[in-house]
Amino acid sequence: MSTTTEAGLALPRFERALTAGDAGQGVGIVDELLDRGVEPTVLLLDVISEAQRRIGQRWQRGEWSVAQEHIATGVSVAATEAIARWVRRLPVTRGRIVVGCAEREWHSLPALVIATGLRERGWNVAYLGACTPAGRLSAYLHDSGPEAVAVSCSTAWALPGTRQFVEACASAGIPVIAGGTALGPDGTRARALGATAWAPGLREAVDAVKTLPSVVEPATPLAAEPLAEQQGLELNHHTLVETLRRRWRPQDAFAEGTPEHSGIAVAVGDCADQSLSAVQGALLTGDGRLLGDTAAWARALLSARRVPEPRVTALATELGLLLRDYPRAAALLRSHWPGAA
Amino acid sequence: MDVALGPAGGPVPRPTRPSGESAFLLDVSRQLAGSLNVRRTVLRALRLAVPVLGDWAVLALFDGCGVTLSACDTDGAPLAPVHVPRLAEDSALGRIRRAGRPELLHSTPGAGSAAGLAGLIPDADLLAIAAGFGLAEVLGVGLTARGSAVGALIAVRGAGQGYTQADVALAEEFARHAAVTLDAARLYEERRHVVATLQASLRPPELPAVPGLRVAACYRTAQERLDIGGDFYDVHGVPGDVSVVVGDVCGKGVEAAVLTGKARQTIKTAARFDRSPAAILAALNDVLYADRPDRFVTVACARLRPAPDGAGTLATIAVAGHPAPLVLRGDGSVEEPVLFGTLVGVLPDLRYEEAAVLLQPGDAMLLYTDGVYEARGRDGLFGQERLRALLPPYAGASPETLCEVVERRVMEHLDGRGHDDIALLAVRCGE
Repeated sequence: MSTTTEAGLALPRFERALTAGDAGQGVGIVDELLDRGVEPTVLLLDVISEAQRRIGQRWQRGEWSVAQEHIATGVSVAATEAIARWVRRLPVTRGRIVVGCAEREWHSLPALVIATGLRERGWNVAYLGACTPAGRLSAYLHDSGPEAVAVSCSTAWALPGTRQFVEACASAGIPVIAGGTALGPDGTRARALGATAWAPGLREAVDAVKTLPSVVEPATPLAAEPLAEQQGLELNHHTLVETLRRRWRPQDAFAEGTPEHSGIAVAVGDCADQSLSAVQGALLTGDGRLLGDTAAWARALLSARRVPEPRVTALATELGLLLRDYPRAAALLRSHWPGAA
Repeated sequence: MDVALGPAGGPVPRPTRPSGESAFLLDVSRQLAGSLNVRRTVLRALRLAVPVLGDWAVLALFDGCGVTLSACDTDGAPLAPVHVPRLAEDSALGRIRRAGRPELLHSTPGAGSAAGLAGLIPDADLLAIAAGFGLAEVLGVGLTARGSAVGALIAVRGAGQGYTQADVALAEEFARHAAVTLDAARLYEERRHVVATLQASLRPPELPAVPGLRVAACYRTAQERLDIGGDFYDVHGVPGDVSVVVGDVCGKGVEAAVLTGKARQTIKTAARFDRSPAAILAALNDVLYADRPDRFVTVACARLRPAPDGAGTLATIAVAGHPAPLVLRGDGSVEEPVLFGTLVGVLPDLRYEEAAVLLQPGDAMLLYTDGVYEARGRDGLFGQERLRALLPPYAGASPETLCEVVERRVMEHLDGRGHDDIALLAVRCGE
């Protein structure tokens, strides 16, 4: 049986371990597959990342709570760490690479998957985990002088921090590979942030790291005007989110005290927060598609929670009103957020 | 190539290098300023030197009696540095080291010139690469910073393009910039080695595997560039009788970290004689008070043993000026044992009380420091209420997940604001 098939067969079992929140069982499954000779990369991608994608959808569809998703992710992390322990027995044959996430990025699992996959290929990997401030990264870069840095960015909220990560690396001459769902389907956002290379996944990262230059120039400064608007939005983020949540109240579609009413509080908060973060991300990267993607994501989230259509489209209207003082942001919203005027 | 954008992106054009000597030197100082790492600085200096100062270059760094030679291959990929243990004093490189004067060699066919060249590039492989450029002239300039020779830049030009006086002056100016940066990076690296060695003994420990329990911890220092701070945690013991400890010493940064080292060691030693938490805290108090009665430590300490009837784990807990651990039951309820104890180190002859909690499989216990509840965000302090309120949905979660969710909520509450050291330690009953 090919190892890909074995991994495919193990996926339902692994998903059950995630559902049960049973880290021991999750670790047991990957240990067993490793012993049977399944490649670590196949496990990382076809079992762990795939199961993780599915639990993300469960939350999106309103089937799981945030806590359930966290608990399940904890099982995936434990399983990935088991693979990481296994690959550490392989010899180091290449240079040093630092892998991590910028400030405000708590989704550390994609970075851990990349770190583990690179270690399997013989790279000497230092994994910094979630939410690493640029100052701490800088100190680490001066101390260890790695060949390259890989940064993972899953949420638009972490794009400004990812830019700081890139600046810290490039000013020390170190090339950066950037990846993660918040960077979109191509290299546009990674390039705008000043990354040396873009890699949408583990296999691409493994290839990209071999073609990196040994030294890069300091990052080119970002365009001043969009940057100034983004910084203004960042400074006022909480006020803007609160204002948006006062004006846009999809929970009012349901009677107070009903499970529907209380059940969508987290989703509504996330929609407000992510929409405004996406506006910042679009300003920073010049890539308005981030707004279209966020609009589609918010729509799916709200529709799954049976929010009536007029209250879904009201988000676009309220965002437009909120961004009146930010001309570039408002223009991006009009051209990329369906229904925004 | 400067940029290798991944599969779908295509390469990004490399920014054009400023033209003219002053623009070159401006670029050099801007680019060299960015790193405090010796190897990264060497790579950058080599990259800047080519092609303006030569078709190829070697950077030599002096140490003791020897020299380390760094260079790239003809495609610009860095080669492993070559260490030459003893540099001949009368070689060209030896002369640069002693006198700091530039050495310019004209290459003419014949054995004599090869010997001269070897005096500047004392390594056969590197010499072979240099020869591949159809040598016309080789220039060696000293890298002198703060009065001492740090190293030398050896630049090679191929046939038909020798060095003018202006070229030598430009190379010397470049060398001055590179020397100061390299010297700073070296100094940083030497100091860093001292710091890393001392820090290693004060860094939070790797957690041991404990049969019947799962333990996880999280540590975030107030000073983000340091790995150490004034909070500490520890797990030690023998199978069936384990101590878990979380504490916080007065002060911040390095001075506080030194005191955490003393507190941790004292607790570990005291536990070898009597693992009862009250006895450990009393011993710690005696030791620290006798040492210096003006510094204090707060501690929560728990002893974990299998319950007498075999089901679950019996936790005996004592605290000294520290909040009692929170107990998260498998059904989502949160309990806090009622416990008091004076902080350690400022009053003589203290005794501590103990409380006992029975942990069933699936129950968890969370020990934490004031960095959690005193985290100040837009809506005031994070507070113990918020901490208790976030736990119930995480009943049955792994201790890693518990630590992560608390850390994350606290950091989100802070939203980029400064904070005190934060330490968390979670224990879950049942593997």
